[in-house]
Amino acid sequence: MNTTRITGTLYAEMVRNGAATLYNYRSVVNDLNVFPIPDGDTGDNMYMTIESGVGMLSDSVPSSLSTASDNVARGMLLGARGNSGVILSRIFSGIAKGLKGVESADAADISRAFESGVKEAYGAVAVPVEGTILTVFKDAVNYAGKRINKYSTVETYFEDFTKELHDSLDRTPDLLQVLKDAGVVDSGGAGFVYIAEGMKDVLGGSFTGMTGSFQTNRKMPDISTFTEDSVLTFGYCTEFLLRLQRSKTDLDAFDLDKYIGYLNTVGDSVVAFRDGSIVKVHVHTKKPGDVLNNAQQIGEFLTLKIENMTLQNNETNIQNRFTLPAKGKKKRYGIVAVAAGDGIKETFRSLGCDAVVDGGQSMNPSAEDLVRAFEKINAKTILVFPNNGNIILTANQAAKLYDKADVRVLPTKTIGEGYAAISVMDTNEKDVNRLTADLEDAIAGVVTGHVSRAIRDAEKDGVKIVKDDFIGFSHDRIYTDAADRNTAARELLGHLDAEHFDILLVICGKDAPKEETDALYHELSASFKRTEVIMIDGGQPIYDYILVLE
Amino acid sequence: MLVLFTDTDCDVTPAIAKEYGYKLISMPYSVDGKTTYPYIDFDVFDAKAFYNVLRTGVLPNTSAVSRDVYISYFEPIFAAGSDILYVHFSRAMSASFEAMDQAVAMLKSKYPGREFYSVDTKGISAGSLYIVRFVGDLYKAGKSAPEIVQAAKDEVDHIGFYFFVDDLKFFMHSGRVSGLAGTMGTLLGIRPIIYVGDDGKMTSIGKEKGRTKAVARLMSYIEELGDDVKNHRVIIGHSDCLENAELVAEEIRNRFGRDIAIEFTVVNPTIGSHCGPNGVGIVFHAKHR
Repeated sequence: MNTTRITGTLYAEMVRNGAATLYNYRSVVNDLNVFPIPDGDTGDNMYMTIESGVGMLSDSVPSSLSTASDNVARGMLLGARGNSGVILSRIFSGIAKGLKGVESADAADISRAFESGVKEAYGAVAVPVEGTILTVFKDAVNYAGKRINKYSTVETYFEDFTKELHDSLDRTPDLLQVLKDAGVVDSGGAGFVYIAEGMKDVLGGSFTGMTGSFQTNRKMPDISTFTEDSVLTFGYCTEFLLRLQRSKTDLDAFDLDKYIGYLNTVGDSVVAFRDGSIVKVHVHTKKPGDVLNNAQQIGEFLTLKIENMTLQNNETNIQNRFTLPAKGKKKRYGIVAVAAGDGIKETFRSLGCDAVVDGGQSMNPSAEDLVRAFEKINAKTILVFPNNGNIILTANQAAKLYDKADVRVLPTKTIGEGYAAISVMDTNEKDVNRLTADLEDAIAGVVTGHVSRAIRDAEKDGVKIVKDDFIGFSHDRIYTDAADRNTAARELLGHLDAEHFDILLVICGKDAPKEETDALYHELSASFKRTEVIMIDGGQPIYDYILVLE
Repeated sequence: MLVLFTDTDCDVTPAIAKEYGYKLISMPYSVDGKTTYPYIDFDVFDAKAFYNVLRTGVLPNTSAVSRDVYISYFEPIFAAGSDILYVHFSRAMSASFEAMDQAVAMLKSKYPGREFYSVDTKGISAGSLYIVRFVGDLYKAGKSAPEIVQAAKDEVDHIGFYFFVDDLKFFMHSGRVSGLAGTMGTLLGIRPIIYVGDDGKMTSIGKEKGRTKAVARLMSYIEELGDDVKNHRVIIGHSDCLENAELVAEEIRNRFGRDIAIEFTVVNPTIGSHCGPNGVGIVFHAKHR
């Protein structure tokens, strides 16, 4: 095969196959975790991100490369999860910008578009870190770009591109000490290599089928939460593919902008674009029937999906039980927290969170999950408290996608930092900048430690880690390894100077049995006299204990 | 003759009542539907047992005293030809006092010439106990009822009463505190700081994280508002948390001298039903409330 140009149809197939390849290797990517505990999720995050782009492609319609790449990018921006997912979505968004107005592209065009992808991806993060997906992609784009000559084809370009991806990936431990210490290569970079390999395979005529089925942690909606007496508060997430019909409308005269204008009068969160005679629509509306009837006046549905958002994410619907805002009145501040574990979520609601989005280290929410939470809050300013460094970027992307409130993302990297900040929050403060500055001060005064079970033998930070032992770590540093979780917790607290703090909040995970947590409470109260020890049944996965010192 | 009355919401035990000759009106509370009248249904208040029940998550209720109950307390006194001086907990916190007004109006028409005096301590628990003792001293010193009422009224305006609680859910349940922020949560080490103002109502004036900071905050009020603290009563009330009360006492001794007299009192079960376990408060002589 000698492909000189990539068309929209070919690009769509390449992206699809890239997604399928990543899907098959996602657990390999998940396991490239610098910590020897089972919380890696880069593969899942990247897959769900690219899958969200694939979902925006129409199946059989030949379209321009510009349109196809733009559709993929839009879907990925909305579906982005985790830092690697956000960066991936920005790479494809940059590529789409580089291909704007282009019907098809040769190797040189692709190279230029990829360069645009590098630029946008680096712009997406405040402080680009080398030795990550950013470096891997940039190196490969530079390498392959320099090797373009008059004999180059799309295939030779991708040969060079993927060769350097592998080489650069192998070098990531030289650039990032944490990778070297853990004996792994960068997981985001690895995920990208699988995607690119899958894309390249299409050029060679081979397609990867997906093996197995993808299990997300997404729960089925609890239909019992919407009863005979419930009120439809949030409308329906309505998505469909509409085939414009010649018998009903003049295909050439169809004005997408005008149609989007109509959708905005009956709903919000509108995303709509046209791909040939197919229109893809995403809208949140209380009257999906109206939208469907209107659509059927110009075409027929290819696919259709309607979800009741009132029950879909019901827990985000529970308002602060103590001071219910007056109906219809805009609050000054709305609070959105990201949390995993029933106990922790309940705690955050009791702290006054308007919405608690499910997620954390092992299951990152997408930008759209967060946008949906924002939509349910009637506030001038929405403050977002992530519980993981890997969610901050997604939250920032969600903030950009949402324009009905001033959304501020606080840099909370642990559940403890979120608790510390929300619990000192002065909701009467009028100056939002002063409020966020105060919150950032509160965050800075917190030390969070974690206890989790090791999944492999390892050596890190001078600590010998034995599989199935419990390790105690804080931020990126492992302090201790012990055969039981309480010893690990006590030793970790010793390293963290727990006795010099006022409060020690112990959030107990779902795997920590009650007898052990009770014993830990008594031990800690006895050994840290001036520190107030507070136990919470968090019910979170992975971390047997989350220790929050203030 | 003048007969003194007070009530159990003022942290007055039968022993304290006897010291001054007070008659004690019992203010009821109920746990799981069972109503208890302090010092009628029991002789000694077992604070540990009571607050341990609350620690399991039980939310008790309290109820107002009826007109007829007040009549049963007051009528024998008037019938015997004596007058009454009732030192009671804050009128603004309970519907009991409307019932009391009705009872007094009825009795006064029935026993013309009898006098009923009252002192609104604008407090509860330790905040009221201060005034109960103040009035008792004047009574023992032979002051007349009008003199006592006037002196007590002046003193009430100089009571500083500040406290913090451990678990907000009790006040959330009782609804007796205004100004509670939404972001406090329960049992998370976040302590609302509450004071009882001129209006005799409880208002939250902020929150502190952790016992150490909450104690420091209480101290800041006694520092700022305290007026000749050492030569007046200092009372620390706690709802079964002597440990925290001692922390506060130690700070007060450090500040005002080791020899300062501090009285400790355990919050009575009826008020404890509102504030929950592990609360600590200070009562001191202040420049103003």
